[in-house]
Amino acid sequence: MTALAYETYHLGLRTTKRFMRVPANYISILFFPLVQLLIFSQLFQQIVQLPGFEGQSSYLAYLAPGQVVFAAFMAVAWSGFGLLVEYRTGYMDKLRALPTRRWSILAAEMVPLFFQAAAMSGILLLIAVLLGTTIVTGIVGFVLIMALAGLFGLAFAGLSFVPALLTKSEQATSTFSLLLFPVVFMSTAFVPAEVMPDWMRIINDWNPITYLIEAMRAIMTTGYDWPLIGRAVGSLAVVGVFGQILTIWAFGRLAR
Amino acid sequence: MNEGPIIEVRDLVKVYGKGDKQTRAVDGISFDVAPGELFGFLGPNGAGKTTTIRVLATLLAPTSGSVRVAGIDVMHDPHEVRKRLGLALQTAALDAFSTGRETLELAGRLHRLPSAEVRRRADELLELMTLTKVANKLTGTYSGGMKRRLDLASALMHKPQLLILDEPTEGLDPQSRTALWEELERINRAGTTLLLTTHYMEEADRLCRRLSIIDNGKIVVDGSPTELKQTVGADTVVLEVEQPEGDGVVERVRGRLEGLVEAEAVAAHPQGVSLSVANAGAAIPALLRRLEGDSVQITGLHMSQPSLDDVFMKYTGRSIREEAADQYIVLGW
Repeated sequence: MTALAYETYHLGLRTTKRFMRVPANYISILFFPLVQLLIFSQLFQQIVQLPGFEGQSSYLAYLAPGQVVFAAFMAVAWSGFGLLVEYRTGYMDKLRALPTRRWSILAAEMVPLFFQAAAMSGILLLIAVLLGTTIVTGIVGFVLIMALAGLFGLAFAGLSFVPALLTKSEQATSTFSLLLFPVVFMSTAFVPAEVMPDWMRIINDWNPITYLIEAMRAIMTTGYDWPLIGRAVGSLAVVGVFGQILTIWAFGRLAR
Repeated sequence: MNEGPIIEVRDLVKVYGKGDKQTRAVDGISFDVAPGELFGFLGPNGAGKTTTIRVLATLLAPTSGSVRVAGIDVMHDPHEVRKRLGLALQTAALDAFSTGRETLELAGRLHRLPSAEVRRRADELLELMTLTKVANKLTGTYSGGMKRRLDLASALMHKPQLLILDEPTEGLDPQSRTALWEELERINRAGTTLLLTTHYMEEADRLCRRLSIIDNGKIVVDGSPTELKQTVGADTVVLEVEQPEGDGVVERVRGRLEGLVEAEAVAAHPQGVSLSVANAGAAIPALLRRLEGDSVQITGLHMSQPSLDDVFMKYTGRSIREEAADQYIVLGW
């Protein structure tokens, strides 16, 4: 166990640097949520007068938690790429021929994703605050939101790793990530469930992304709503356990 | 210390695929490598060299057979095997976003060297491989030769007993190649056993003290480069004379060398007379003493040995140079 932690730490520092040293990584992660936050908050200013938006000071305030989650989503949408590239170039073989447990190679890809997703979401939330969004729970709430975004990153990383490891193709992996975009759009990121058509409301009722957004929104506007936070963490745990089991299986298959 | 062979391979078989699509990449290979040897596998691409290396390096499970490194079974305890070996693969795969120093330090950490030792050893190897100036640059910016040297350095961080190199000079320019050869010889002299694969004749000839020629997953023959070349036939010595067409030169040489060289081994040559002699290098002084005097005017002399390509031709019926170009590339979907 200590060996696993030691190896994950040193290998994880490497994957973190790999992420940090390419500015295109965080620019492409932040670009979409930032554009949506800046443009949609202006474009749809009047939307808060619709029923369902009660209690919102502005559309910017409504939009912020959804875009925080979107940033975390973008942070892990292509997270399987790094491992895939290293499998292809043979670097992974090099790591495997060192006295390391193969699970530390996978853990060193996964653990940093928590921090990457949390950091990306934190930057977005900070921008939202600078633009005038308030967080009633203050700095503690801010950190809790970042932690939830990190958990989301870990839970959803499998959706990038499994297609990457199974197809060994960058194209297939990015296509699969694009297919997940509608899941974000059909959450309460942009509008409350009250204004959704019935069929979409049914999807929304089962959407873990909605659970997370609603928990964050509560932390920002009303305070710690533990049942909502619990529901968000629980659904992330379900997605995460499922995703990680599949990832471990696919990785084991690759690195037999 | 382990006194037996450092590598011990018995009846190694590796089959890829299932049913009709089966390929026997390695088809019953057995060999030993003693500690301190500089041993090579020579063969065309697809001969089974890389597969054998990957099994030895614990990256691939064999279909059958037993493989021991330093007396440890690679299937039974891969972790212990990994502690003892250094590996440099064909493509010198590096993390493009790590610096040279970080690459070495990570290898040292994963080999559990103490922090001070990690830094000291990294400095030492960067210096040795003349990479000190670029130590803090990302490896993605390195030239092909620099990548190879860094890859080799990272395989040497923990002073392995055994260094395994797959096509160490593939794609390098002649200058970097020669420099790398010298480095490998130095590492070997310092006590590290080297196992390398190559499809370059010159490399096998120049570098390996002993080699196995491998083709279609089988070891065809093994021995030192000199021994192998002797199995093909004798060396050729050409005596250049003033007037090659002059009357009876061949007969006169034959007469002078009677008892030293067989009569049939002496033949006419466009430049003079050719002799077929085993181990020509050692035989030449005696030959020249016999030919002293005025009956044969020798103006020049050159000798040639059979090449490893001739050896490959003898045992496989094909030239390795023709084979080297054919290589399949497998694409994912």
